[in-house]
Amino acid sequence: MGTPAITIENLTKEFTNPSIFNRGKVTAVDSLSLTVEAGHVYGLLGPNGSGKSTTMKIVLGLVVPTSGRTCIFGRDSRDVESREAVGFLPENPYFYKFLTGSETLDFYGKLCGLGGKMLRDRSRELLALVGLESAADRRVGGYSKGMLQRIGLAQALVQDPRLLVLDEPTAGVDPAGSHDIRDLILRLKQRGITVLLCSHLLSQVQEICDRIGIMNHGKLVREGPLDDLISIENQTELTLENVSPALLAELRERAEAGGARVLGAHKPQQNLERYFLDVTAGKK
Amino acid sequence: MTTESSGPAVAAHASAHKLFSLRRTWAIAANTFRDLVRQKVFYFMLVFGLFLIGTSLLTASISFQGQLQTVMDVCLGAMSVFTMLLAVLATAMLLPKDMEDRTLYTILAKPVSRFEYLVGKLAGVTMILLVATLLMTAAFLVVLYFWQGREIENLQLTEMPERAAAAIAKVKSGTFTSTLFGGIGVIFFRSIVCAGLTLMISCFSTSWLFTVIISLMVIFAGYLVPMARSVWQGPLGTAEVPTHTAILLRLITVFVPDMQLFNVVDDIAVGINVDADVFVRIAGLGAGYLLVYLFVGWLFFAWREL
Repeated sequence: MGTPAITIENLTKEFTNPSIFNRGKVTAVDSLSLTVEAGHVYGLLGPNGSGKSTTMKIVLGLVVPTSGRTCIFGRDSRDVESREAVGFLPENPYFYKFLTGSETLDFYGKLCGLGGKMLRDRSRELLALVGLESAADRRVGGYSKGMLQRIGLAQALVQDPRLLVLDEPTAGVDPAGSHDIRDLILRLKQRGITVLLCSHLLSQVQEICDRIGIMNHGKLVREGPLDDLISIENQTELTLENVSPALLAELRERAEAGGARVLGAHKPQQNLERYFLDVTAGKK
Repeated sequence: MTTESSGPAVAAHASAHKLFSLRRTWAIAANTFRDLVRQKVFYFMLVFGLFLIGTSLLTASISFQGQLQTVMDVCLGAMSVFTMLLAVLATAMLLPKDMEDRTLYTILAKPVSRFEYLVGKLAGVTMILLVATLLMTAAFLVVLYFWQGREIENLQLTEMPERAAAAIAKVKSGTFTSTLFGGIGVIFFRSIVCAGLTLMISCFSTSWLFTVIISLMVIFAGYLVPMARSVWQGPLGTAEVPTHTAILLRLITVFVPDMQLFNVVDDIAVGINVDADVFVRIAGLGAGYLLVYLFVGWLFFAWREL
């Protein structure tokens, strides 16, 4: 195994209560340890206030931990250099309203040491990637929430990072856009890019993540490969096509004769997102 | 969405990290400048400053003082007030705005150090101050040009030819002097020091308004620094100046800019010639203040939770 993309060791973050009447400490992250292997898509889940965003900010060097350590590809994440390998999309991102989409990518590209023709080409390529070519010369101040999310994703990718940290990447994006972003994450994974994803859209997390960690009250309460965590060990699903009622009854009898209990038989449903995309396909 | 192709080449190009990069700092500075240029409130302030400069000829014609002195007084005064206010107001909003809009997260999540960010912001404000100073200087020079023309015309009409020539020569040599340009340089330098001070305060402040109020108070206190210095320069621990008071006063004189230092502009306005070494001393001390503010601001900002 190579160097992990993210290593979090015994991380604790305490904030001082801002109230002047109660100056106690609030523990946002409590002795958290986890590893995200390179090339994986890792879903960090948890209810609001569970410490996900604080963990992300510590990984990105935006917040200093009270104790413990975080590393990006083996480099302490407090080192500015470690961020060369990272692209970050915050939740509900805002960018300089006076810049156009293209200028926004130029700005973030320059921050990563890019310039000249290479940056111009890269900007154009990323605008096409996130479907904002036609809005490249429009001011970001006039972008919709979904467009802001797309330009945010483009800026996160500008230096072709090895690790992408995404906080609610599909918030405010329509189903088609959300589907595109999911596909993009899967394509990035195929290219070996590691993704740390925070999202409340659990169905989407389930579709794209290899591993998940569930946080609650600052602690990691569950962690592991997605399939292991959510599969029910003592049950088996069988999907049949063109099955007659008689055959179904026979199968049920044989199963019960063999000591198994049939819990239910129903027609499988397609995902609502898939249905929506099929209905709206070609109507743009 | 299509698959990208130039990624690996881009990543290879972007990987040469420098501890301090001019390219990154310049990107932040240029962006800050562009942001400030689009703030309408500063146009109103600039128009008001230019209006004051423009009306100085009228003020001079109804003044009992020497006319050149009045023009200088009004114009240099307008430039001083405008540049100081611009420096404080423009700088105070930079950090809170970036934090509120969360653009700071996306900037600092890139390989940008907090020091580069601060230097970039200060450089951006310096650029807007330079543009504002140049615009007002241009207006000031136009006013002086018209005043000089009118004065020469008056002298030609009212004085005997032999006396008029000497008087005209005196007007010509006394209008566009190197001291005057030195004074404008001092005004510009003072505004950068004010911007540096405001940036330092905004690094630990929690609101835009708090930063503006504290910065203006410190700048005002700066005019009292010579008084504070004269107190602590007495022997320590004497009955007149207790030790703790003297230490406090010393600290104040280190961190609060000596604004009296820049009051050489007032001397220039009344026609007093100022030696070049005074300007050099002011520039040196101003740069010293700026470095201290930048360093202290960085210390606060480096540990600030975002």
